[in-house]
Amino acid sequence: MKKTYPGDPPVLDDITLRVDKGEFIWLTGPSGAGKSTLLRLLFCAEKPTSGQILIGGKNIGRINQAGVPYLRRNIGVVFQDFKLLDNRTVLENVGYALEVLGASDTDIRERARRRLDQVGLSHKAMSLPRRLSGGEQQRVAIARALVNEPTILLADEPTGNLDPSLTDSILQLLFDANARGTTVVVATHDRTLLQRWHRRTVGLERGKLVFDA
Amino acid sequence: MIAHVAWRLSRRAAVNLWRAPLLSLVSVLTIGLSLFIGATFVLGLFTARRLLTSWGAQPSMTLYLNAATTDAQGLTLAQQIRGRGDVDVRYVDAAVALQRLRADLGELGPALDGLTQNPLPASLEIRPRAPLAATSLRVLAAELEQSPGVRDVEYGREWLDKLEALGRGLRAFGAGALLAVIGAALMVVANTIRLAVYARRDEIEIMKLVGATDGYVRAPFLMEGALQGVLGAGVGVGAVLAAQHLLLPHASQAFAAAAGVGAPHLLPAHAAALLAAGALVGFVGSWIAVARFLKT
Repeated sequence: MKKTYPGDPPVLDDITLRVDKGEFIWLTGPSGAGKSTLLRLLFCAEKPTSGQILIGGKNIGRINQAGVPYLRRNIGVVFQDFKLLDNRTVLENVGYALEVLGASDTDIRERARRRLDQVGLSHKAMSLPRRLSGGEQQRVAIARALVNEPTILLADEPTGNLDPSLTDSILQLLFDANARGTTVVVATHDRTLLQRWHRRTVGLERGKLVFDA
Repeated sequence: MIAHVAWRLSRRAAVNLWRAPLLSLVSVLTIGLSLFIGATFVLGLFTARRLLTSWGAQPSMTLYLNAATTDAQGLTLAQQIRGRGDVDVRYVDAAVALQRLRADLGELGPALDGLTQNPLPASLEIRPRAPLAATSLRVLAAELEQSPGVRDVEYGREWLDKLEALGRGLRAFGAGALLAVIGAALMVVANTIRLAVYARRDEIEIMKLVGATDGYVRAPFLMEGALQGVLGAGVGVGAVLAAQHLLLPHASQAFAAAAGVGAPHLLPAHAAALLAAGALVGFVGSWIAVARFLKT
């Protein structure tokens, strides 16, 4: 698979990668290596210039615009900057992913509370995100990403904005999700994480896949 | 499921309006001002057209008879034309015509004493019983001109031509200007709403991220737009009514003096049309504004 933007060298060049169901992989490399672009391709925010991306045997590069939302309902995404809605409570933020599925208010409240409980934030359900610490906000974002039990979880530098002391608790949530069967892909440039938690690691550099170990 | 999703989206639209009162107010006032300008313009245009119609609505015409026509023949012709039923006819013999001219000349009247014979022809004064459009008046004139003994027909042809040209010009200008006003209003409203949508682009991004369809993302914005449109139209209608209340007494005198035409009034049907227009403008404006953010 290849991704280029007009006038620039390829952001991703001749990438071939297979991730098995239920796997946990680190995606690593320096800034500008193409990690975020690869994740964006996986949740259809971008389309590959050539090649194909198969999820469950389906080429998502050929999905039309109307089909993208339905794909995303099976993919949870976590970002470095959390992407929470400031004017909604923590519970509303987590329940947001269920609203678009047409779940009832009662169902949304119950499932969102359960997820918040799992990430240890049920006592902050009615707080606004700005009242929370960075680590807590990221836990809310993870709860939102997991609330509809997606088959895939993508995390782009999930600990990049956090104090190192909070890293373990955030990563543990991702490992827990993986243990429940969710395929997890985490992009990070922090090599200390890879050294502490040994998992399959895919290295990118200047858009090329340089190692897979 | 559809019912509770619709209820949720409506609730969200109302809450969003409440949460961003300043932006909502700006949108409402922009729509209100645009519709006020549009409504005032349309009312002015209608009034101008009614004035023009009233000036051309009471035409009369004069049939000048040949010099050889006798009074008896003239009266017979008058009787025949009266028989059509759609016009009143009055026979004016040559002597009366001269008498009128003398009276019209006032102090200069005695100058006519030197005439050895009456140069004025007898005539028939025709007045349609119902107001006639310029085209119908022309047809009537052409028919009567064919009557025996008629030499010429005078019905203010030049005045009617000018009036018609003015009417055509007003229609063309009015249609063009109205389109421009509507286009400008739509652009202003769309841009104002776009500002409001821009302030919530993160929300749109997150909605899309968690798998909301374009329709689901768009729905609350469209509801908000339509609601803002209706509120804005309410402001516009209020402004027109206030302007009517403050200005109408003076305007009525001016219009009555000009042609006996009533000053423009905003009728309930107009107000309803404005409210519908407001909802439509808000809806379309929101659609345009959101479309840009749905592409990403």
